[in-house]
Order: sequence, then structure tokens, then C-alpha cells
Amino acid sequence: MSKRVKKELKEEHWKGLGVSDGVVVGRVLRVHSGTQQVYRAKLDEMDMRREVRRLRAAVRLSRRQLLAIRTRAEKELGVAHSYIFDAHLLMLEDNKLIGEIEEFILKERANAEWAVKVVGDKLLAVYAAIKDDYLRERGSDIEDVTQRILVALSGGHPSYKNLIEDAVLVAEDLLPSTVAELDYTKVRGMAMDNGGWTSHTAIIARGLGIPAVVGLRDLSRRARTGDPIIVDADKGAVVLHPSARTTDFYRSQKISQESRTSVAAEKFHGPVRTLDGVDVRLRANIELPAEFVGVAKFGAEGVGLYRSEFLLSQRGPMPSEEEQCEAYKEVARIGGDAGATVRLFDLGGEKISGAFGDAERNPALGLRAIRFSLRWEKVLRLQARSILRAAAFGKLSIVLPMISDLTDVRRARSIIEEERVKLESEGKRAGTVKVGAMIEVPSAVFVADKIAREVDFFSLGTNDLVQYLLAVDRGNDDVAEWFRSLHPAVLQSIKRTLDAARDAEIPAVVCGEMAATPAYAVILLGLGATDFSMTASSLPRVRQTVSQIKYEDAREIAEKSLECATADDVEELVRERLGAKWPQLFPAQSLPAKKSKV
Amino acid sequence: MIEERVRITNRLGLHARAAAQLVRLASGFKSTVRLERVDGSASADAKSILSVLMLAAPRGTELRAMADGVDEREAIAAVSRLFEEGFGEIEH
Repeated sequence: MSKRVKKELKEEHWKGLGVSDGVVVGRVLRVHSGTQQVYRAKLDEMDMRREVRRLRAAVRLSRRQLLAIRTRAEKELGVAHSYIFDAHLLMLEDNKLIGEIEEFILKERANAEWAVKVVGDKLLAVYAAIKDDYLRERGSDIEDVTQRILVALSGGHPSYKNLIEDAVLVAEDLLPSTVAELDYTKVRGMAMDNGGWTSHTAIIARGLGIPAVVGLRDLSRRARTGDPIIVDADKGAVVLHPSARTTDFYRSQKISQESRTSVAAEKFHGPVRTLDGVDVRLRANIELPAEFVGVAKFGAEGVGLYRSEFLLSQRGPMPSEEEQCEAYKEVARIGGDAGATVRLFDLGGEKISGAFGDAERNPALGLRAIRFSLRWEKVLRLQARSILRAAAFGKLSIVLPMISDLTDVRRARSIIEEERVKLESEGKRAGTVKVGAMIEVPSAVFVADKIAREVDFFSLGTNDLVQYLLAVDRGNDDVAEWFRSLHPAVLQSIKRTLDAARDAEIPAVVCGEMAATPAYAVILLGLGATDFSMTASSLPRVRQTVSQIKYEDAREIAEKSLECATADDVEELVRERLGAKWPQLFPAQSLPAKKSKV
Repeated sequence: MIEERVRITNRLGLHARAAAQLVRLASGFKSTVRLERVDGSASADAKSILSVLMLAAPRGTELRAMADGVDEREAIAAVSRLFEEGFGEIEH
């Protein structure tokens, strides 16, 4: 063992891919995944029987753990995601695994740990050779199961129950069972060596609205539990052992977890009003059942966006009408009097590739969202029926994702209407639902005035709008500097959409995470947005900002920004004007940093 | 021993959940139950999830289901039904 010199550790920087939004200053919680060192021991004849018994006891312990995990996952993640633990349970009963391990112990006089590792690795090698992407990934399930047995053999339980405050999970990658075992409410961020935009980590992090950066190569080898760490998902950056200066810089940012929690503690509720009397509605975007509690906790006026595709596991079967109906009833209940908007499945090739056809070369521009639902009409009909039935028990609306042409709206609406008539003829109760359009494709912006006449409301999806308008994949780190939420073209598109909604006298809800950054929220308000929906935990700081400014001032700044020629100009203007107008709300370092192209 | 041809009709093929269903079902019979690709390229013990997953069988795959034992008839009937019903997934 090398002597550890007690001194301030040097600040270390990592660059990866930010797969969610936000920044967190926290402490490392190192989660181990499959890299436990295993050594071989040669056993005496007499000890072999005992070793097999030890293995069986470990398998029984693993089984009990998995049963508990499955129950919890069903409750918190939904049935569609818990099935994987059913498969894990079967692996534990599988002779191909357990039988071979026992055989190996007896034949090689090996200790159980070594046998588990050798047999597990052999199986993994077979899976690695499978051509089908999905099945090849099942290798991670084998790893998960063998890891669990190894931990059980050492008498332990992989417990993450005593999570430290402000825990930032650091691992090579998150295994599905680790994710299910975590106490989400305490995890503040994630930083992983591996993984991409659609990895388990990314999906969970976005669902929980916590910052996550993946693709950090060797971070997990350098980080120890308790180390101070900063995860900046907006920039895809991670700082280990940050200096006091770096920490101060991040802490002072409005987007830091610190300000989120301290403002959250004040618990604002009810409508929020600007100083000059403009009412602003703040709603919540939700996905995971684990997030539901945040809607009331952070004082959201209902659910502005429920991402229904969460009901589908990545490759699991389609949930039945009953299962869907129950889920939407629950969402309606969470939405309360203000109601909840269900976004129809925003599915695309990348989420279920191979299942409904070949993988697409360009899924972002492919058969996804409403196009997918219209192509696979049964999927749309089933979802429409489920929502209509659930609407008899609470206030629900439907929003159609990725509308690029009015025809899509008409087709979807007529199918929804047909299902309503069908339900009535079957004697089943159907509630009234309003139907809106997501405005997130540039073509929809151009014909927003026409669309507005045929829908009940607009939902502005700023994330996708920026991506499609600027032709920038937000998941691609190489073009991150071209992803500019404050690009004049973005602002003009938003303005145009909001104006169309106002002229047609329909509501327009701004749903993207752009609204969650207070400085951006001010600009959006200035452009005429008075209805926002975002991750619930972001609501308090936006509420605080809105309640301390005048709409007229925001409008003046927003109008100026529309005249700018470049994103740099807008950002400069925002930095200057917001900082001068409201220095207490926007200290210099809290504003979006300058992004200059190198 | 009896055998019957089955075809994978569910959209996801023999993925983890479908495989789990099949293994649970097959394990309830005394007979041995095996699946084999009709071209003979691979076969699996239907009572082992790892074995079934390794068939790596997508939608459209033709398989021979074989059962051998005292309840082979019931076993084959049940397994065929599961395949026909597409493992409870909705059809298209």
C-alpha cells in the first residue's frame, strides 16, 4: 500500500457526453460494476462439497435480493422495466450457469468465486459473438447476475441504501439492477466511464432530471467515494477534486443543485405573477413514476408533459390497454385540477430499432413519433383508447409529437375520434380530451397559424426545435458549440409560434428544458410565453425569477434580441441586459457562458 | 418424441421477456423440451434461459419444437400456443 499524502488533491478535468441537463456540485459515490478482482484457490478434496454449498447459499441470497428488486422495480419503474429481473431470476435457476459452475468447482477443485468468473466469462464470450445487437447486450445481464453471486459469496449485499448527501454516482457503467436498487431521491448526478445518449444511465438521468455525463473513459478508476466532484451535463464536463475557486464558480451558478434545493425548501405554491401583474403558469414534465411526487412537492400546476414512451421498455412488449389506462389514470391524478397532457409515444428507430423494422440510418429524421404511430395504427388506436378511458377519471389532454404537416394532425385526430365513437358503442366511458400539437419541427413553425386553427393547444418543444432548426444533434459532442438555444432563428421561431397561438386564441405551453434556465425563461417570457412546463425540480428557481421581474422589461430585452444577427450577439445582449437590470438575480457568472467556436 | 413447427410472430423475437415466458412454461413439464432452427444451425434447451437467448432468433424465424417424455403432447401444445399468441404482445 502506498502512503497517502494528506494534501489538497489536484483538480482533474474530464470531458464526456452530457446526456441530460444541469450542473451538480456533490460527492462521489463509487458504485462497482463487474470488476471485482477474483483469485483462484486450489481446494482440498474435503472442501469441495462445502464450496458447492457455499455457492448454493450465495445463489439463494441473490435470489432473495432479486425478488425484492423486482417488486421494487415494478412499483417504481413499471412492469415494462421489471421483466428484466425475471430474466435474471431465471438465470439463477439455469443449469447452464449454476450447473456448470458447480461442475467446475468439483472438476477443477476451484473456489466458488473463480468458478463463477470462469463460467460467466465463457458465456459472455458466446454472447459477444451474437450478431443481434439486443441479444448481445444481454451479456450485461449475465455480468449483472454473476456479479451479484460474487458479492453474495463475499457475504455482502450491494447496498446503496446509505447514500451520502449530494451523491454523484461514479461507475464504469450502471447495471440495470444497480439502477433499480438505488434510492433515486438521494442521487444528485451521475458520471460514467461508458455509455451513450440512449444508455440506461442517460434514460434514468433524464427521467429524474439530474445531470449526467457519460463516456468519461477512466474516471471511475480515479474517483473514490467521498471525493468532491462537479458534473456539468450542459457542457459534458466533470471536475474531480475541484479547487475552492472552481467550486465557488459552479455553486454561484443558478443552475447548481445548491440553489435548486435551497429555493425548493421555501416551497412556493399557487400561480406566480410578475411584478407588473402578468400571470405565469408553471407545470411539470414527468416520465418516471419516481418523479411523480415532485409535481406536488415543487408546486407545479399540473403536468404539462407526460412522456408516455416511458411505458414501453426499450424492447419489451407493448403494454395492454388496461395497463396503459391505469398509468394514464395515475398521471391524471398527479395532474389534479390543472390536468395532465399525455404526449403520444415519441418513439423512434433508436428506441426500438429492429423491433418494427430495420435500424434507420438517420432516426432523428425517420419514422418516429406521430409518423410511427400513424404507420403502426394499432399502436395509436390502443393508446388513444387508453387515454380516452382514463380521461373519464381525470383531466387529460393529448399532444401529438413531431408534427411537420397539418395532415398528420387531421389523421391523428380522426383516429382518436373514431376510437371515442367505438368506445361509446361498446358502452365504455370515455372522457373529453383536448388535442394539441407539439411544435418542434421548423415546417410546423411556418404553418403554425394554420395548425393553430385545428388544434386545442400548442406545446413548444424547444429541445427538438433547436436541434431541427439548427441541424445540430444535441447528443453529438463534436457539434455542441453549434447547439445554441439563443440563436436568433430559434427566438424568431418561438415568437412566430406564440403569435400564431395568440391569434387563434389557443394556449401555448413551452415544454423544453430551455425554460428551466432562468435567463432563458426571461427571454421566453419576453417573447410572450406565459405557460411553461419543465422538470419539476427546476420550477422553484424559475418561479423565483419570474416573481421578481417585470414582464415589460423582459419584453423589451426579448425584442432587442430578435434583431440580433448571431447567437453570440444574443448571448452578449442577454448577459449585459439581464445582469444590469437584475444584478441580484443574475450575477455575472450565473449567465450562460460564452460559447465561441474554435 | 413429438415435434411441431413453430414460427416467431411477435415483433421482438425471442427477447428476454419472451424467453423468460417460454422457460417458465417449459419448466412446468416433465418432458424435455428443445427448440431447433429448421436449418439445423442451432438448438436450445427450452428450460434454460441462457440457451434460449443464444438462439438469437428474431421475428420470422422458423423453429422445430420437440418434446420427449410422459407429457410431451401437452408440452408441445402449450409451447405452440405461446408462439402463436406472439407471447402476448400486440400484433401488427
